Amino acid sequence: MSEIQSTVKSYVLEEFLPGESPDAMDNSTPLISSGILDSLSTIKLVSFLEEQFNVQFEAHEISRENLDTLDLIAATVESKRHG
Amino acid sequence: MDFSFTPDQEALRDQILEFATRELTEGAIERDRGGVFPHDLWEKCGEMGLQGLPVPESHGGVGLDSLSTAIALEAFGYGCRDGGLAFAIGAHLLACVIPVWRHGSEELKERYLPGLSNGSLIAVNAITEPDSGSDAFAMKTRAVSVEGGFRIDGTKTFASNGPVADLAVVYAATDPDRGFLGGITAFLVEKGTPGFSVGQKFEKMGLRTAPLSELVFDDVFVPDDSVIGGVGGGGPIFNHSMEWERICLPAIHLGTMRHLLDRAVEQARTRKAFGQSIGKNQAISHRIADLKVRLEAARLLTYRSAERLETAGTVGLDASMTKLLVSESLVRSALDVVQIFGGYGYMDEYEVERILRDSIGSTIYSGTSEMQRNIIAGWLGL
Repeated sequence: MSEIQSTVKSYVLEEFLPGESPDAMDNSTPLISSGILDSLSTIKLVSFLEEQFNVQFEAHEISRENLDTLDLIAATVESKRHG
Repeated sequence: MDFSFTPDQEALRDQILEFATRELTEGAIERDRGGVFPHDLWEKCGEMGLQGLPVPESHGGVGLDSLSTAIALEAFGYGCRDGGLAFAIGAHLLACVIPVWRHGSEELKERYLPGLSNGSLIAVNAITEPDSGSDAFAMKTRAVSVEGGFRIDGTKTFASNGPVADLAVVYAATDPDRGFLGGITAFLVEKGTPGFSVGQKFEKMGLRTAPLSELVFDDVFVPDDSVIGGVGGGGPIFNHSMEWERICLPAIHLGTMRHLLDRAVEQARTRKAFGQSIGKNQAISHRIADLKVRLEAARLLTYRSAERLETAGTVGLDASMTKLLVSESLVRSALDVVQIFGGYGYMDEYEVERILRDSIGSTIYSGTSEMQRNIIAGWLGL
């Protein structure tokens, strides 16, 4: 698990799944399509990503394709960091 | 923290207040009675740049930062006695100009921002539907991809500026199963586009000079280049525009609250009963003290939030707190001032009952107080 995935996992568990075992979530666990993240919590996650990793999201990038799993989130953040 | 204004901000505030006091104080009673939108005053405000305060000068705006925009809007709200006009300009700027400026393509910006900023174009934000108000993204309006663009079908309601608008920012579902994230797209639709029409016009309790209507989209074709910010980006675009609206419309309310305070103090010092000014009675003076406290507290939160619009990534929590506090403070203060004026406060010629009627909508539009509390609770992890 990369540093991005690990950091985001800790954030999601603490913010949106309090009390949940870390084992219940892996890199491919759906976050948006499963309902773990609703619209507000997705905006909160994006705010966290922007602040934590010093990246910016365009409106149309805040989507299931880019944010549904830890793998996708890490890939999106990485591409922004190096884009 | 330094809360003092820069010399430029002071000059801007004074300039807008002088303009509003000179041009925007007369005729509001008559226009309110008739529900008349003041096209001439809209154009004068455009000449002052009010409709494009934060828009870069390269696109025809004034180029203010977000805090200076809030300062300017407070001055506008303080001097302008036509609450409907102030609201109409706020809705145009914050829910329509902001999305085009911040998310539109260069082509859309070049085509529309100069006219939107100088008052020659009026815009309407079309998202609310008859069956989806607070639950806005449960919308039924659909945009189906076709060769060269999209076809939009649906009806929007409670569209501020709808009857007079030249341009609509329309939110439609392009992938209904996805909802807020990826399922909604924002489009720009010009007046006169075949199939696009104004539906029922509404009479309102307040803000009567700001026209409100349904908008009907009957198989309206819009080209691909009318999409704002990418297909599927409508949810976050709307969310972003609401952050601006929930911070900068309250800035206008600060000006109204300051006007109410002035009026209350004047009335309390000059109106006599039982041989003394009514302000000598604590029942009056304590109410006025509360007006002052509410105004100062509301201003601090509004200005802090306005500053964060450009320094923080997402200000949803700040925006909801600001909107909730300022709108509820405005209603409370307007009600207090009507009571301080007594029977005169109930008469339209004293122009405080109109402010009360205008204020009530502030706890409803841009998301009700209940929705703001839901959002705040959500940010707290509840």
